[in-house]
Amino acid sequence: MYFPYLIAYMLAGFVISLITFVWALNAGQFKDQQRARYLPLQGETGPASARPSRFYRFKIIILFTLACSGLVSTAVVIVLIVLQNP
Amino acid sequence: MASTANEQAPSYPTAIAFCLTSTIWFAAATSFGMIAAGYLFAPDFLANIGWLHFGKARPIHVNLVLFGFVTPGLLAAGFYMIPKLLRTELFSEKLGVFTAVLWNVTMLCAIVGIGAGYSQGREYAELPWTVDLMIVVLFVLVIFNILMTIRQRKESILYVSVWYITAAVVLTGTTYGIGNVIWKPDTGALLGIPDAILLWFYGHNIFGLLLTPMGLAVAYYVLPIATRSPLYSHTLSLIGFWSLIVVYTHIGTHHLLQVPVPTYLKVIAIVDSVAMVIPVMVVLINLWFTVKGKWAEIHQDIGAKFVFAGTIYYFFVNIQGSMMSLPVVQRVTHFNNWVVGHAHIGVLGFAGVTALGGIYFLLPRITGKPIYSRFLADLQYWLVLIGITGFAIVLTIVGLIQGQAWINGETIYRVLPQIQPYYIARASLGITIMLGAYIGAYNIIRSIFFNPGATAK
Repeated sequence: MYFPYLIAYMLAGFVISLITFVWALNAGQFKDQQRARYLPLQGETGPASARPSRFYRFKIIILFTLACSGLVSTAVVIVLIVLQNP
Repeated sequence: MASTANEQAPSYPTAIAFCLTSTIWFAAATSFGMIAAGYLFAPDFLANIGWLHFGKARPIHVNLVLFGFVTPGLLAAGFYMIPKLLRTELFSEKLGVFTAVLWNVTMLCAIVGIGAGYSQGREYAELPWTVDLMIVVLFVLVIFNILMTIRQRKESILYVSVWYITAAVVLTGTTYGIGNVIWKPDTGALLGIPDAILLWFYGHNIFGLLLTPMGLAVAYYVLPIATRSPLYSHTLSLIGFWSLIVVYTHIGTHHLLQVPVPTYLKVIAIVDSVAMVIPVMVVLINLWFTVKGKWAEIHQDIGAKFVFAGTIYYFFVNIQGSMMSLPVVQRVTHFNNWVVGHAHIGVLGFAGVTALGGIYFLLPRITGKPIYSRFLADLQYWLVLIGITGFAIVLTIVGLIQGQAWINGETIYRVLPQIQPYYIARASLGITIMLGAYIGAYNIIRSIFFNPGATAK
């Protein structure tokens, strides 16, 4: 009999989320969204950035290649699996 | 002390304590991972050391990565960014530092407990009952500190990062005890299939409701600052947050599609797993449009570099995860190393890399000095990146070999010789990740305690 535990588990998240959403709605958390976009930048006086190295473009290309190869590999494998297991 | 920031800026001892916690346990976790990887191609490796055999090294590795490295690393960034975003101070730095100390004690107890044979034998829930209790206490302390900080805030609007972190700790703190069946101290489990159902609701939520929201919180904070750009859309970010909460909470049963669980649970799990494309792409479109055309700024900040790489892994792991939930795909990809590769892309590639990014981003801002060595940080970046990408490729290949063998009715022992070379490659790639962890530990500790302040390259 798993229902009591499962329901307790799902209810815990659901009730907390619902209460929080209602609070957010009433507290105006979904208003003034334009100002919210800038919140991380307020008072930000971070350290001066170092100059980019001359390998910048090279590294970006490597990263992009890695990303694309992973995506293509995953896509090929999934297509092959689907074709072999109709 | 030389400072590039405000002289009166708070010192953030809680964030520093969690940085150190994460850094040290990253090195320890990868070391245990290497030991476990050694067993896979050399089964007699360290065979005479009872508390280090594969059945113990592996759960120690998994739990140290989840609760020792990634969670504290993301919490470190959280304890820095939440006061900043709310224009206040952390409710109690003393409580925060105490939590970090207790966190380390808990991780030590986890190693001793599992090493001594008290594992509860449920994936992601192996920790002994006493350690479960300690983790619940830790989350209660973190929740209390964060909620009280929110209560005393001077900024009325909660930025999306605050939403994500708060949701992560509250939902995990609430559900950890249920998922670990904490009311049954002797076993920490129900009986039969119901236990599997409950376990995977909890197990997948460790990634979906703990690591993912905290990782996204860090990305939403770091990338706008690093590129000096406002967030593309805060409304979109909130849509992503609430859709994640709705969709991600009940996809755990996709781990049990070959198991006699109720069909409606499987259907819900599959539909919501595919629907995860919505919150994932909402987040990524928002973040990538925010940094569009600002590649140079990302490259300049090593923290942002890590975080941006984390967003790419986030894309892969989630698209892969949605596809893997389809039964026809799972026939090949489940119960083999494909899933292990998938888990490493998610936990290390996305959440772990993002945690490292958060640490490197906040350290100069807390200490007022550049990190000890930009070169070592770059070296760690590439070691981890190459390690995890290679890991994913090798484990995917191994998974396909195992999956096809399974479908063809091949016996397991005839497949093992075929995959041994890949296990050696896997261990080799693990060495690069472990090396990166130790280099990072040295760099971060030097940045905090022994930093002359002028060695950044």
